Amino acid sequence: MLEDLIKKYLVETAGVDPIKFENPSLKVADLELDSLGLVEMLFEVEDEFGFQVPDPMVFLTMSYAEMVATIEDMVRSHKAGQALVVEQPVEHK
Amino acid sequence: MTKVFITGTGLICPLGSDKSSSFQAALEGRSAIGPSPADIAERLPDVLVARVLTDPATLLDKPYAGLDRATQFALIAADAAMTDADLVMPFEDARRFGVFVGVGFAGAQTLDNLYSRYFRTLADLTQAHKNPSVMHPLSVPRMMANAAAATISMRYGLRGPSNTYSVACASSAAAIGEAFRAIRNGYLDAAIVVGAEAMLNPGALMAWNALRVMAKPDAADPSRSCRPFSLDRSGFVLGEGAAALILESEARSTKRGAVVQAEMAGYGCSSDAQHLTAPSVEGQVHAMEDALHEADLLPDRVAYLNAHGTATKAGDVVETQAIHKVFGPHVHQLAVSSTKAVHGHLIGAGGALEFALSIMAMNSGSLPPTAHLDVPDPQCDLDFVPLKARHGCDIDAVMSNSFAFGGSNVSLLARRPTR
Repeated sequence: MLEDLIKKYLVETAGVDPIKFENPSLKVADLELDSLGLVEMLFEVEDEFGFQVPDPMVFLTMSYAEMVATIEDMVRSHKAGQALVVEQPVEHK
Repeated sequence: MTKVFITGTGLICPLGSDKSSSFQAALEGRSAIGPSPADIAERLPDVLVARVLTDPATLLDKPYAGLDRATQFALIAADAAMTDADLVMPFEDARRFGVFVGVGFAGAQTLDNLYSRYFRTLADLTQAHKNPSVMHPLSVPRMMANAAAATISMRYGLRGPSNTYSVACASSAAAIGEAFRAIRNGYLDAAIVVGAEAMLNPGALMAWNALRVMAKPDAADPSRSCRPFSLDRSGFVLGEGAAALILESEARSTKRGAVVQAEMAGYGCSSDAQHLTAPSVEGQVHAMEDALHEADLLPDRVAYLNAHGTATKAGDVVETQAIHKVFGPHVHQLAVSSTKAVHGHLIGAGGALEFALSIMAMNSGSLPPTAHLDVPDPQCDLDFVPLKARHGCDIDAVMSNSFAFGGSNVSLLARRPTR
């Protein structure tokens, strides 16, 4: 799942406490990412699906759930309606 | 002007992952030179390399995993030097503590990965749905020339200057010299100096191969392929890694009771101003003489010189002539060796690595040999400590030469501490 990809980065690389994700109204701001952390998080998605998210800063005012849903929409639109299946990492990642 | 002492050393290089194992391998003439990895050997089967076999990422915390390989080497060497010097964060005098880094081709691994990713995505039909221009957002800060200096400054909270010197093969030698002068002239009280290089990747090696300066593989034993000052030399082998030194003013090191490894005594720096790659006796003489002058030492006080010694005919012969000119009749009391025969040419990291080895030679009384020197070139007629280390030497001062493409020459001098 796309959310797993995002969560994996946030927990393992950005050091976000996993307990935070139990809060359904978690905000992106609560993740305490700086601007570089935010674009690095988005790269996990960009690398997987092969497109660049146009304006990372729009996510800063969203809830975490809204951000994930928005990114899912972007991926769907990019893949032109294909089913969301996370592929195996490419060899040169 | 204050005296400047060297109080810490950290190494990760083809000879070993710490300073003791690296120096021991240099003394034993144990070569780290071997074939290239498969992705390079596929196109360049005759290009040899001196690799660091430990993946630096495995020695660092996860936040450093994505950094350029050269920056990772720099961090490991810096950590080792800080520990060796018994320095512990936080630093109350952080504003008086600088970071000086020397790199030749910064970010080479990141840049190669970036191009490789672009073209492989383009060429791979199964990746057709992907835009090949999507790159990691931190690619730029990872490959910028000052990436290592910035990372070290932030890691240790050092708020003095964090400057990067890129002078090809003389990069980290120049960084040491500039740090020395900053402390000597009172601008700083301490500095960490790091030389780092990591460009054993396909793109960089194809470029080096085109320059026709790389050693041809020795058919019987590839590890013997780099033979400085030898009649059958054929060029150098690129290496990778990092070396770090801690420099402190006499007052700072005395106040904290630091163990002093050497006194940083002299720095000479000159430019040939004549040819892109061909060396010049005159330029090299200027660098060595300026270092002696700054140290207020006569040539007869220097007992060991770690030569630039790249195993190119022009380089070896010109350096031999320059050493003759500087040391005159005292040249017969001078031992000279090129350790590049075993650790390869670390370009930007070479100056710091070889200066560190020279200081360990001074303190141990054991001189690393010029390995594989079975057939000396008659035009190179110095005491090159051929084949075997020399032990039990009483050494007051050592010199290390680093001469760069572009005609930049740096000579460094260290001596036993004077109080």
